[in-house]
Amino acid sequence: MAGVFDRLQRQIEDKQKDGGITALDLADLTPALRKIMRLMLRQLQMNYPQLCDAMDKMAEAERLSRADLDQSLGMLTQQAWLTRLGEGPKAIYKVNLRPKAGSTLASGIWSSLDDKLKK
Amino acid sequence: MGKIVSIHSFRGGTGKSNTTANLASQVAMTGKRVGVVDTDIQSPGIHVLFGLDETSMGKTLNDFLYGKCEIAEVAYPVGDYAAAAKESAPGRAQLAGKDLFLIPSSIRGREISRVLREGYDVGRLNEGFQTLIQNINLDYLFIDTHPGLNEETLLSIAISDILLLILRPDNQDFQGTAVTVDIARSLDVSNLLLMVNKAVPNKYTYENLKTQIETAYKAPLTGILPLSFDMADNASKDIFSLRYPDHDWSKELRKVAQAVMDTN
Repeated sequence: MAGVFDRLQRQIEDKQKDGGITALDLADLTPALRKIMRLMLRQLQMNYPQLCDAMDKMAEAERLSRADLDQSLGMLTQQAWLTRLGEGPKAIYKVNLRPKAGSTLASGIWSSLDDKLKK
Repeated sequence: MGKIVSIHSFRGGTGKSNTTANLASQVAMTGKRVGVVDTDIQSPGIHVLFGLDETSMGKTLNDFLYGKCEIAEVAYPVGDYAAAAKESAPGRAQLAGKDLFLIPSSIRGREISRVLREGYDVGRLNEGFQTLIQNINLDYLFIDTHPGLNEETLLSIAISDILLLILRPDNQDFQGTAVTVDIARSLDVSNLLLMVNKAVPNKYTYENLKTQIETAYKAPLTGILPLSFDMADNASKDIFSLRYPDHDWSKELRKVAQAVMDTN
């Protein structure tokens, strides 16, 4: 029988499959949201104190206030562009990149190609 | 943290893989730890410059993308096997003992067709880049991209510390580069560098071309590499700038490598 952790993990994975951000979407974000996403792409995952720390290390002109950071994180999580694991200050944020879609060509083309490549 | 350097061109045939291999080699020769990832998954080729072929290549980036192995398992230590090429590729042989790692894409037809048919997890590709930098303790990770704009190319642009755009002195390249520059700016790329390749020798005044390009794209031009029969004759068999260090192409290439290393 699957445990609570397994079920939660599956829920997270199902949610990730539903959406996610593409690299091109990043260009359409506001500068504040894009700043967070670019940071997260490089760090892979960060908790809230780490995010605050990273903001504090930025040049003053680039830095987001705590209120703006909180609002941005809320927005990105709501869109499922960031996945939040856990709650409160220990919550970990991860970027949810949309998988690259496969070809929309008729499947017969691919099986035919596969047959040829086997030879 | 190591720097990610994406090498890109809007159009094919600009010499992107050759440039990437030579830049990575030049940087590795200075003692830096360097990785090279071939994200041109649809038409991979940079492995040839580092002496790998279908038989010598085991697991590839494709295996990592489909969860068959860890990224470090597909990082080939070029410095460990380069010495064996002393006769056939004396340029590459100079990389013996250097910390240069190649992450090749598969050249097996079925694996390329699988990527086209099924797509892949872009998040895993990004995790691979970042894990490589940490686990192999890289100073630089060079990403050789597919020409034009696609998912992996846009991702590599978005995460890069330095984006080097290669163009030829050709009107199609000029227009295409403008598109890429716009996208790079909209993704907040910190450092955008330009390089001209395949410039007809003696046709352009260096300063004129530099002014023209830098005015058009508002980014520094780091080198103008000449169109070269010697380079064509090399046929990707060796690392040209190491084999022929006094060649004009190699001298300009080293300027680009220096510009990459000088960029904070």
